[in-house]
Amino acid sequence: MCELSPISRRNAVKAALAFAASPFLRYVPTYAADHAEVSEIAPGVFVHQGRYEMQSPENRGDMANACFVVGNESVAVIDTLGSAVAGSELRNAIRTVTSKPIRYVINTHMHPDHVFGNAAFKEDNPIYVGHLKLARGLASRAERYLAINKQMLGDEAFGGIEIILPALAVDGTETLDLGGRSLVLETQPTAHTDNDMTITDTATDTLFLGDLLFSVHVPTLDGSIKGWLVLLDDLSRKQAARVVPGHGPKAMELPGALEPEQRYLAAIASDVRRLIKEGKTLEDATEVAGFSERDAWKLFDQYHVRNVTAAFAELEWE
Amino acid sequence: MGEPDEDGLMLALKSLVCPSGVAALASAAFILLAPVAGNADQDAWPQLKLQTFGDRPIQAEDGAVVLEIPGTADDASLVPLTVRVPPAITQKLKSLTLIIDKNPDPLVAALSFGPAAGTGGERSFSTRVRIDSFSHVRAILETEDGTLHMATKFVAAAGGCGAMQAKDPDAETVDLGKMIVKTFPPALDSNPVWSGLVMIKHPNQNGMQLNINTADIIPARFVKEVTVKRGGELVFQMQSTFSISTNPNFRFTFGRGADNSLDVVVKDTDSAVFTAQSGPSGS
Repeated sequence: MCELSPISRRNAVKAALAFAASPFLRYVPTYAADHAEVSEIAPGVFVHQGRYEMQSPENRGDMANACFVVGNESVAVIDTLGSAVAGSELRNAIRTVTSKPIRYVINTHMHPDHVFGNAAFKEDNPIYVGHLKLARGLASRAERYLAINKQMLGDEAFGGIEIILPALAVDGTETLDLGGRSLVLETQPTAHTDNDMTITDTATDTLFLGDLLFSVHVPTLDGSIKGWLVLLDDLSRKQAARVVPGHGPKAMELPGALEPEQRYLAAIASDVRRLIKEGKTLEDATEVAGFSERDAWKLFDQYHVRNVTAAFAELEWE
Repeated sequence: MGEPDEDGLMLALKSLVCPSGVAALASAAFILLAPVAGNADQDAWPQLKLQTFGDRPIQAEDGAVVLEIPGTADDASLVPLTVRVPPAITQKLKSLTLIIDKNPDPLVAALSFGPAAGTGGERSFSTRVRIDSFSHVRAILETEDGTLHMATKFVAAAGGCGAMQAKDPDAETVDLGKMIVKTFPPALDSNPVWSGLVMIKHPNQNGMQLNINTADIIPARFVKEVTVKRGGELVFQMQSTFSISTNPNFRFTFGRGADNSLDVVVKDTDSAVFTAQSGPSGS
């Protein structure tokens, strides 16, 4: 339902290099049609890569990365894809790997492509975990998210979707013990949204960035462009064996993984600030700001104008 | 408008059916209206027209007023809208009414122009609106001779009103009432029409959102009146509703005077009053 623009050679090479640095230890083939394809990017760390698409009846909301981490005693899921159908295929993939109980379902932020599969895990009776502000953000948008996704996914793929808010609301840092390994959850200041949370698997030094990191798929701004740029600067100084983006390859390396996104957001911020200074309007900005980035990203035409609009409404108050 | 029946207009518009089936909406006076099931395909305009303008004739698309708005809204909670009156129209302007047929409150804004509104060049008014549903958007201009002129566009958008507008609600409430007022002289000195910008930090809360912690409706609180004067003379007075986006933003033209600084008074539905003045022109 959308045209994909080719990504730049530079970004493709970067993504490939970052990915090559994290070889699969195990590949879980798709031999049953009803489980999601996942790769083990580090011992006990599995990632499913979503498509670079808008939600549709064909992709059933499978358009973001979803992960799970297997400990000695239990399993934690990190994001659940964009429908109960896709979520249950993720659950089936977990079951091809381990029969340990799924104790935690963590959402990195409120967006439907990361939380609408939550219902698929109800039978496991997990603790749903998210940023303190996730509940407010998602609840206040729930009606609109449900209406839009029903329309875009169609009745079949939309079936079973439920809004499930976190029972464990994280404010600052929280550690979850999976037996022999633990996940450290850290809430982040307003950036991509006002409820982004990062997760570190301490056993393998894997950092899950959720949608604070987009690769190939154009970033979507639903928080603060200034906050996001500051946070990316902080993240670029972090050490981690690998990072997992919310959209992009299954694993990448710091700090190179962040660079295209930093460049994209900085281009918008700089263009928008200049236009505001020149007395130009929001409409003017949506026609020119950041268009130098057009060939570098997939789904640019679907999200870029919205990003510029949000950036303008924020930066005009400087 | 600008006549004493402004309040009557506001109440008449507020009492209209809510097409998206929102259970209740709190008006400025916190009047709760009975829910009425709406038909999305129903043409709301004849009824809206009757309630707003009675049986007065309206000249549609006669070129006196031009409406610019994207056909598809990328962000339904923040849709830029511009109304232009081409230079060929030389009369003074009396009023401008903006209507979004399918919004819970179809009236977006009703402006009555004063002596400092200006003539002798292209005049314009821009703001940003919320659009709740696929809807016609209308600008109805009243010229000095009492004629009504209308431009209409159809916009595909969804969910701009029911959604929490603020991306970071905590940040938005910190500076409530902060204003920025700017003036821009024309490129050519011979042009007697200046432009101005008024920005107000205000959530323009529409009373349709639940507080997740208490399960209560967050009360409506929005900017209801904006008065802009140039050197003491009225540019316009506007009655507005929550169809205006969070952090209301208005760009408009006004006539050059001896003193081109702007004084702005904003009132919201909590009876808070905010005032601001423009700095040096172009700043």
